[in-house]
Amino acid sequence: MSETMTPPAAPPQAPPAGAARPGRNWLKIVATAVLVVVLLLLPVLVGNSGVAYLKLAQYILIGVVGGIGLTLLVGQAGQLSLAHPFFLLVGAVGYAVLSGDPEESDDLVGLGLPPLVGVIGAVALCGLIGLAFAPVAGRLRGIYLGVASLSLVFLGLWLGQSLDMFSGGTSSGRNAPVFELFGFEFANSQPAPTIAGVAIQKQQRLWYLFLAFALGSYFLARGAVNSRIGRSWRAVRDNEAAATAMGVHVTRVKAGAFVISSAFAGLAGVMTALWLDLVKPDENEFTGTYSLTVAIAFLAIVIIGGLGSVPGAVIGAVLVFGLQQFFLLGSQQFGWFADAQFGGFSAVVVSAFVYGGAIVLVVLFEPGGMAAIGRRLLGRRRSPDVPATADGDRTTPREDR
Amino acid sequence: MIAARRAGRSALIAGVLTSTLVLAACGSTADTSGGTEGAGGVATDFGVTDTTITLGIMGDTSGVFKNLGAGLNAGNQLWADDVNAAGGICGRQIEIETVDHGYKADVAKTLYPQLEPNVLGMVQLLGSPVLAALEPNLIEDNMLAAPASWSSEVLDNPGIMMIGTTYDLEIVNGLAYLQQQGLLADGDTIGHIYIDGEYGGNGLKGSKYYAEQHGITINEAKVTSTDNDLTGIVTGMRGAGVKLIVLTTTPGQTASALAANQALGLNVPVLGNNPTFDPALLQTPAAGALGNLYVSASNAPFSSSNPKAVEVTTAYKEAYPDLPRNAGITTGYTEGLVWQNVLEAACEAGDLTRAGVKTALGTLTSVDTEGLVDVLDYSSPGAPPTRGVYIAQVDANAEGGLTEVAPLFTSPEAESYKAPFQQG
Repeated sequence: MSETMTPPAAPPQAPPAGAARPGRNWLKIVATAVLVVVLLLLPVLVGNSGVAYLKLAQYILIGVVGGIGLTLLVGQAGQLSLAHPFFLLVGAVGYAVLSGDPEESDDLVGLGLPPLVGVIGAVALCGLIGLAFAPVAGRLRGIYLGVASLSLVFLGLWLGQSLDMFSGGTSSGRNAPVFELFGFEFANSQPAPTIAGVAIQKQQRLWYLFLAFALGSYFLARGAVNSRIGRSWRAVRDNEAAATAMGVHVTRVKAGAFVISSAFAGLAGVMTALWLDLVKPDENEFTGTYSLTVAIAFLAIVIIGGLGSVPGAVIGAVLVFGLQQFFLLGSQQFGWFADAQFGGFSAVVVSAFVYGGAIVLVVLFEPGGMAAIGRRLLGRRRSPDVPATADGDRTTPREDR
Repeated sequence: MIAARRAGRSALIAGVLTSTLVLAACGSTADTSGGTEGAGGVATDFGVTDTTITLGIMGDTSGVFKNLGAGLNAGNQLWADDVNAAGGICGRQIEIETVDHGYKADVAKTLYPQLEPNVLGMVQLLGSPVLAALEPNLIEDNMLAAPASWSSEVLDNPGIMMIGTTYDLEIVNGLAYLQQQGLLADGDTIGHIYIDGEYGGNGLKGSKYYAEQHGITINEAKVTSTDNDLTGIVTGMRGAGVKLIVLTTTPGQTASALAANQALGLNVPVLGNNPTFDPALLQTPAAGALGNLYVSASNAPFSSSNPKAVEVTTAYKEAYPDLPRNAGITTGYTEGLVWQNVLEAACEAGDLTRAGVKTALGTLTSVDTEGLVDVLDYSSPGAPPTRGVYIAQVDANAEGGLTEVAPLFTSPEAESYKAPFQQG
């Protein structure tokens, strides 16, 4: 997956929107279509015995949705945020509270709303909390904002531990409500529908649900980046004074970016709850599902993928969220790293080196990340009937870095 | 109040269980109908062939508990080797399939579906966060698992096979022992430092119960597992005039609390339970302050003179001369021994399916592990299978760093304690 070469900001004599754009890359469109088909058929491809790989693919999609949200904020709007895990936690707990069974227990709050309402509500709630943080985000920049947003992770740790009527507490957590859509439950059922002899059970259903979430997030984000909203974000990122002169309302745009990014993180949080079948706040701030480690992992996704690039965030998520578990699954199945019985080069260690190394290499040699590499590769494969634009061979950030 | 919440979950579990039984559904990956006839007229479904029985380990050899995890895995393996040398169980050899989740729930969640179809049950499942995340899967797949995590809060799932006693009872017994030794009196104030979570919360339940019985006041301090300096907390406890400090913490925190206990001139006895001590602490600057620590644990310490424990540790030292020596080894071996009892009972009944193994567990009223842990009774679901503990004291000269100071004993308070899901 890589960049569309969108034309530079429309000059006055540009064709009206909707007219065929020059530079449509048919190769890329076909490749995208093939990829989507492969993703749709993934449960069939891994078969009944490959559920672990499906679980891994679901996990990567959590990283994709969260990573897209962060790349919009950090790369497009230029606001460093480390608060992502906090919004994941709010999303997960919000979903459990809104759709939890009121009868589940006396000391847990559950409103029993339909799960779809719960998901939308949790995402909206995260957006609102992101808005509440906007006054801070509007006043700070760069590393100062990063450190300020970090406080939210600690706040989340404390709230998760103390508000156990919502979060279920650190001991046992609470059940994640089973997702259902118009009476169709995303759980195991007897009998199950089959596709090409593969039973479509809980994990397969969740895969399709996550895929819908991820594709929706992807196209929404691409749409935002390539529209007026994205332009205003980049204007604010590059020069606030100039943006103001162009008539961009800087504080409003900054707040908006935070809201949208938080909403994406909220969706990733709901997905996390569904993926783990459990909503459980962390026991400490360094390791766990909603911890500083996760904040760093999301930042790594964004950097490896290329700041501000939506497809880049997808690649970054595959590397950061997928690699370690893929190595672990491989070491079970094919006996990789088998001699690392106690310590040594185990799958965990190797994957940490790979993604740490990837960050260093990206920062040193290709600040544009995977997105820039993809642009370069595709830049050479432009259809010949399209005259190259003046900046056709650029690898520096332009529309969507 | 948590009990009420867990009761809700228990109802859910019961519901799911009955529905799975009714449907005879077998997990998420394959469809078998109540097992097939194997060799020797025994019904089998997962992880059992005519010549082998495969059990799974989901352990930690790369995360925060890697020392303990390595010991547990080695103990499990030693047991399997012994069984296989003696001709196996039910005419089949034991095989163990190990995965390392690094104490991360998300990794465990991914690795589980790969392991699940290949194994009959779990001989070891390490870590409470992992157990919490996998609980729905274990129920769905009708899987019997021996957790390396001893909270009485997980006993609502009949597929959890507790090896030994639980954190709350370790603390109750430990306090009773110290009171018998005259180190604690009715009406005293004691401090309890605990990690907020399943492990620490369960230990606190025990000390609260004991305090109620004896009019003791508890000065509680909640920490997260990454707070590594407990000096401030111990200082506060000194101000409150505590006569004793209870810990349900990580080994690193234990070292910090003991060092502060000595440095501040408080020098009160300190009671910890099984996970609070790691022999590696004896190589740290805090080594000189560890003498006040009493460890209450359901399994015999590494240096125990119990003949079976000696047999296990000797075999371990031969097989793994350069691996750490800790309580994990005997615990791992004990997990195996209990599984052996279960498998033999299931074989007797002619049903080595997952359901059959679970049924067999309920029939065991006195599993004898030759003193590695107290005699275990699995016939009453929800109650810990035993209430007896060993009390050990830190001793730099002992292998594994602990010397037994009291043989297996069960205090009257522990006898009368009612676990969260105990019936009757």
